[in-house]
Amino acid sequence: MIDPDIELLYAIDKALLGVMILVIMFGMGASLTLNDFKAVGRRPRMILIGFLSQFGFMPLIALGLSHLLNLEPALAIALIMIGCLPGGTTSNMFAYFARGHVALSISMTTASTALALFMTPVLLNFYTGSYTRAIAEQMAEEGSFFIPTKDIVVSLVLVLVPVLGGMILRRFSRGWAKVAEDTAGFMGMIVILFLIATTLGRHFRLVISTPWPLYAATISLGLIGFLFGYWVSRLFGAHPIQQRAISLETGIQNTPVAFAIILMSFPQPQVQNDMLWLAVMYSIFIVISSSCITLWLRKKGQFDWEVYKNTLIHGRLFGEAYVTRYPKAFLPARIAADPSQGALSGEQLRED
Amino acid sequence: MSVSSRIHARHLAELYRLAAERFESLPAFATRGRNKVWVPVSFRELYDRGRCIGAGLVDLGVSAREPVGLFSDNRVEWMLADYGIQLAAAVNSPRGTDVTQEELVHIVNHSGMKLAFVENAGMARRCLNLKARLPDLRMLVVLDEAKGLPEGSMGLAEIEERGRKLLEAGRTDVDARAEGIVPEDLFTLIYTSGTTGKPKGVMLTHANMMSQVDHVPIQLNCTDRVLSILPIWHIFERMFEVFAISHGACNYYTSARNLGDDLKQVEPTFMGSAPRLWESLHHRILNGVRQAHPVRRGLFHIGLFLGTHCREALFYLRDNDLRLEPVSPLRRGLRKCRYALQWTALLPWYGFFNAAVLESVRLKAGGSLKGTISGGGALPPEIDRFFNAIGIPVLEGYGLTETTPVVAVRTPEKLVRGTVGPMIPQTEVRIVDFDNGDILYPDSTSPEGGRGRRGEIQLRGPQIMKGYFNDPETTAAVLSEDGWFRTGDIGMVTWNDCLKILGRRKATLVLRNGENVEPEPIEMKLKLSRFIDQCVAVGQDQKFVGALIIPELSAFREKGIEAETLAELNRLPEVRRILQEEVRAAMADASEFRRFEVVKDFRLLDEPFEVGVEVTNLFKLKRHVIHEHFADVIAGMYPVEKS
Repeated sequence: MIDPDIELLYAIDKALLGVMILVIMFGMGASLTLNDFKAVGRRPRMILIGFLSQFGFMPLIALGLSHLLNLEPALAIALIMIGCLPGGTTSNMFAYFARGHVALSISMTTASTALALFMTPVLLNFYTGSYTRAIAEQMAEEGSFFIPTKDIVVSLVLVLVPVLGGMILRRFSRGWAKVAEDTAGFMGMIVILFLIATTLGRHFRLVISTPWPLYAATISLGLIGFLFGYWVSRLFGAHPIQQRAISLETGIQNTPVAFAIILMSFPQPQVQNDMLWLAVMYSIFIVISSSCITLWLRKKGQFDWEVYKNTLIHGRLFGEAYVTRYPKAFLPARIAADPSQGALSGEQLRED
Repeated sequence: MSVSSRIHARHLAELYRLAAERFESLPAFATRGRNKVWVPVSFRELYDRGRCIGAGLVDLGVSAREPVGLFSDNRVEWMLADYGIQLAAAVNSPRGTDVTQEELVHIVNHSGMKLAFVENAGMARRCLNLKARLPDLRMLVVLDEAKGLPEGSMGLAEIEERGRKLLEAGRTDVDARAEGIVPEDLFTLIYTSGTTGKPKGVMLTHANMMSQVDHVPIQLNCTDRVLSILPIWHIFERMFEVFAISHGACNYYTSARNLGDDLKQVEPTFMGSAPRLWESLHHRILNGVRQAHPVRRGLFHIGLFLGTHCREALFYLRDNDLRLEPVSPLRRGLRKCRYALQWTALLPWYGFFNAAVLESVRLKAGGSLKGTISGGGALPPEIDRFFNAIGIPVLEGYGLTETTPVVAVRTPEKLVRGTVGPMIPQTEVRIVDFDNGDILYPDSTSPEGGRGRRGEIQLRGPQIMKGYFNDPETTAAVLSEDGWFRTGDIGMVTWNDCLKILGRRKATLVLRNGENVEPEPIEMKLKLSRFIDQCVAVGQDQKFVGALIIPELSAFREKGIEAETLAELNRLPEVRRILQEEVRAAMADASEFRRFEVVKDFRLLDEPFEVGVEVTNLFKLKRHVIHEHFADVIAGMYPVEKS
């Protein structure tokens, strides 16, 4: 356990982090429209698969890792909480570069963000019972410990306010919304660099003394999430383009929300320190691992993406009735079996 | 994963047939029809209709290996006509509609063509008006009948219909024709301007073209979209289109006017074009940036900076930097460490800016470009750097009509800026001393193998032309017995085995838009003026033709303008005014010079050319020397484009 006397983040850091979270969530809202919500209804099957892997598998993966690696209770709670979070807008950008289905990624982010208000506290309570009791026993003298469901809901609502604000901005000015979106993206990178700088600069001893299971847990959570998302969606017959979007959406969680919840709902110094430390490590590693996974998926998906794009553009230029037929044995069986030959029945990559 | 769909064929007729069998309903070409809607033509349709036209041509008496004219700009009917010509085992002899009257007469008579396809009624009338001078030209076929058929011409549809009836009746002589083609037969006879003035007929064989299809190192398959903008009668564009056909990729015809739109609509994955196009795209992107929000403008410049320096480091680390001189391994190792540091430090930032900023810039070019080939002139270094920095790899290549044309081209793995890349497979290069004919590269006696030495580029390979049509003398002058072709270009081989072009010894100027200009007729015309003593037309790789002029002191004296020396004379404002008027008058005759050949600007020189230095003792201009000596003066004539 981390020494509770160490001040992992100073008050000023916390304030800065708060501002950054605000900017990032505002930018997330600026990238969304009401149509993105409506679009959720148009592809219920894939959204359901995404839902299953985000709220079904991710918490279970986190729980499994906690048990397997024998994490301390506070760390385990943090890991499981990250597992229960919705997806962030970063996943949309990664989905774009991984040649994934961006519209699906956006729909999943939208759906999971809305559902998180309910799912995150419920799942957290459900999976962390034994860990909560363990902490409560340790802290018997200082008072009781429980998962502050109400506070978590409040924090979630609070981070959703800037999202709503961003959406309203987008409604009135696309240009400014784009600026907000880019600023948020830039801020996202600044946050990561800020976190790296503070931890390496101020708490270098902590970096060295952190036991390996914590590294293993924070690195694997994302990676196993990618793996599950990729194969579970494949099992349900998703097209490679959708598979890549679901995979990234599953592994990448909305970490700003994690920080908001930890800072607002877990005031106990030692619990907060442990949880923050894990969240910091997850944030750093997820950026690195999703960059690598994105590069890999991009390479792997080049061919089916090109088939998909070409078919789509034929339809756009020559009329919807135009049928593109590739030569025999040119397409792999999986895409060839799809009557649209990869065009997902003319569905657009991004509806706007 | 890259899936190849390449077809191997012995000759074009076979290629066209196999492409139809393999790619069937896939689009081979697409053009904007009426209402600007895109209309595709499939490989099958092209072949079936081309076969009818071929049968029609055979029926009209076109014999095998006979040259057939094709005077038209890019359009799908061009390709249909070519399918017909190739399937009838004839030879196509193409030229655009901007052909001058004299060239037209020369091409028709020199090749001995009896039948020619012409783009439209206007072009047909031009030929009909010259009838007296074109005794052998018996038939004109109009591709686009929208503006009617002049008396004495027939429509493409008529030939096609005639052929269709024959084929339906079981008269399939045309198939036997195609069967009879051997790889050494000509597929085209392209007339290019030569140093002597009259266009020369470059004979290219089926084997020449097929070797390009097999060896040009570009990866395409039938999911690729190629945007075509260059004139198809340029061998570069022609090769590219045949290359696309052999891979099942679709060619989309665009024009300078529609380019911006078409890039976004078609989202091409590949493009071949001249430097001019990259300049205009560069211009367009920067204009967009200038109008953007200051924050975005700032982000763009940061992105560009990061892109430039990240690529630069990567180029060095992969040994793809421009290596003109040998560098010791230790020094290289140290520099590599530096660049490795630079790369790691910039990578995270570059990663972000690449995603947030540069991607949206790339979207201006459609966003799907895997690469672009630039040929037909040297790419300005700043344009080259720009596109590489924003993540659109520009593959500059080198070749001539005589080489079908590609002999060297950069590849994604060997993308060395400042060079035209490594030689393509089966193509040999040697660098030869202009004066004594010594082979400077390859040289097994020198430790560096002859790299870094400058001389004439000579080439040997399967793409080298058969020769100039009916001109054994000129052929012998450029093509040696053992197959080496003298390009007349000056170049060297870099330390990482890429070819670098340094200039041209030959007089022909290639403007930035790829147009060839012969300086001699221009100079001769200018020298007719009594005020001009000597002059040189310049403009290699520039936007327009310019001239260096040495005024005639005595002529000005006669006019009452007194000056002791040229330097003194050149400073007088009325001298420039008089010369401006002279140049304008000399260039005024539109039948003599094409629009791009007109001298638009000039500079006055203060000293006459020195015999033995700038001119030979026979007063022949030593152009490469002049270009070198007056590089600054010439550069001053062409405004540097602001970027």
